[in-house]
Amino acid sequence: MSHEDYKEMIPAHALSALDLTDDRALTEHLAQCVECRQELNEWQQTAAAVALTASPAEPSLKVRERILSQIRSERDESITPKVVPFKPPQKNVWTSFGSLGAIAALVLFVLVLGYLVLLRRENQAMKNELQTLLQQNQKIQKDLEMVTMLKKPGSKLMELNGTAVAPGAFAKLAFDQTGQAMVMMSGLPAPPAGKEYQLWFIVADKPPMRGRTFSTDSHGEVMLKDQLPDVALKAAVFAVTLEPQGGSASPTMPMYLRS
Amino acid sequence: MQPEQAQISDVELLAAIARKDETALAELYDRYRVILFGLLIRILTSREEAEDVLQEVFLQVWRRAGDFDEKRGRPFTWLVTLARSRGIDRLRSLAAKERVALAGAREPSEQVSDAVADALASEQRTLVTNALAQLPEEQKSPLILAYFDGLTQSEIAAKLGAPLGTVKTRMRAGLMKLREALSNQSASFGF
Repeated sequence: MSHEDYKEMIPAHALSALDLTDDRALTEHLAQCVECRQELNEWQQTAAAVALTASPAEPSLKVRERILSQIRSERDESITPKVVPFKPPQKNVWTSFGSLGAIAALVLFVLVLGYLVLLRRENQAMKNELQTLLQQNQKIQKDLEMVTMLKKPGSKLMELNGTAVAPGAFAKLAFDQTGQAMVMMSGLPAPPAGKEYQLWFIVADKPPMRGRTFSTDSHGEVMLKDQLPDVALKAAVFAVTLEPQGGSASPTMPMYLRS
Repeated sequence: MQPEQAQISDVELLAAIARKDETALAELYDRYRVILFGLLIRILTSREEAEDVLQEVFLQVWRRAGDFDEKRGRPFTWLVTLARSRGIDRLRSLAAKERVALAGAREPSEQVSDAVADALASEQRTLVTNALAQLPEEQKSPLILAYFDGLTQSEIAAKLGAPLGTVKTRMRAGLMKLREALSNQSASFGF
């Protein structure tokens, strides 16, 4: 519909005579068109004049009284401060449930946290226990190996004692007829940085024969396997010295252990 | 002797009413009660209904005086438009049976009152009455049926047995002639 079409509808609109569809369409147009709104104002003035053709009539006095009474009532209502009685906040069931839920969640969280800490501690304790068991197992395995070696025909067991520099040290050396040897040492101090221990086989009239180098564990214990030279199988002296990292060609005094 | 107090304009009264001046509303009511009540009786043909709607109209004026915009028209137009709108709404809300009875009780030719024995601006009434009387009947009838009976163009077409397009054309032509007649007197009568 064009602007001109709407303009033609305006006089009828001023008389409220438009049918519903036209009325709605024009109302929408009026909301956007200043010119048509101005035109409607003019037509409404003309239409209002028609009211004068109705016979004047005097309403009863009670109408005036009712109007004034009503507006006084409305004015008083707007002036009188509306005092709303204070009501204590009513506890909402769901809010209460919400608070309880929050408390329950917090308690649960603390419990779970405590349980996790406990589990962690237990886990650590079990790890430590397992480590201990593994170490014990290793020691038992070594002892077992040692016993197995000693059970072989012709095997020998020798003891090495700590010298003045390592009085608490002690070692047992077992070897079979093939020269396979096993040494279990304890009480040796941890070697300083850049140093490690070295096993020696000492036979009369021969220079000391070098064996394997080794370090100690945290408890000062060592389990070492080595292959003895054939000459060492008879009447050899076994000794342990402290040497530079990688070992030496000849032992550096003093000895820490000797048989 | 007291000097005659200058009458407060309708615009000033509405401004005072917007400020919740009860006296201003009473003054406005006294100025327009007869015109508006006559209009409402003409529409509703019942004093009781008309008084009820008149009360509604002035309560609305009390509540909405701040909405009045002088640039969009005169207070008279605003009041009449408000009253007629309320009156037509009430008429349309009445039962269809009652409405038919009310409409049937009146003939368009009887709608123009020649009563001039009132304290209102009878000259203005005469002017409008004459302007309306000069309209051809086929233009006047649709206008009267729409204005006082609240009929739509389709309802008027059905009532008069005329094509809808014809009714639209005649209604528009009638109102245009009325505007022309009144505009010639606008300087003296404020239309």
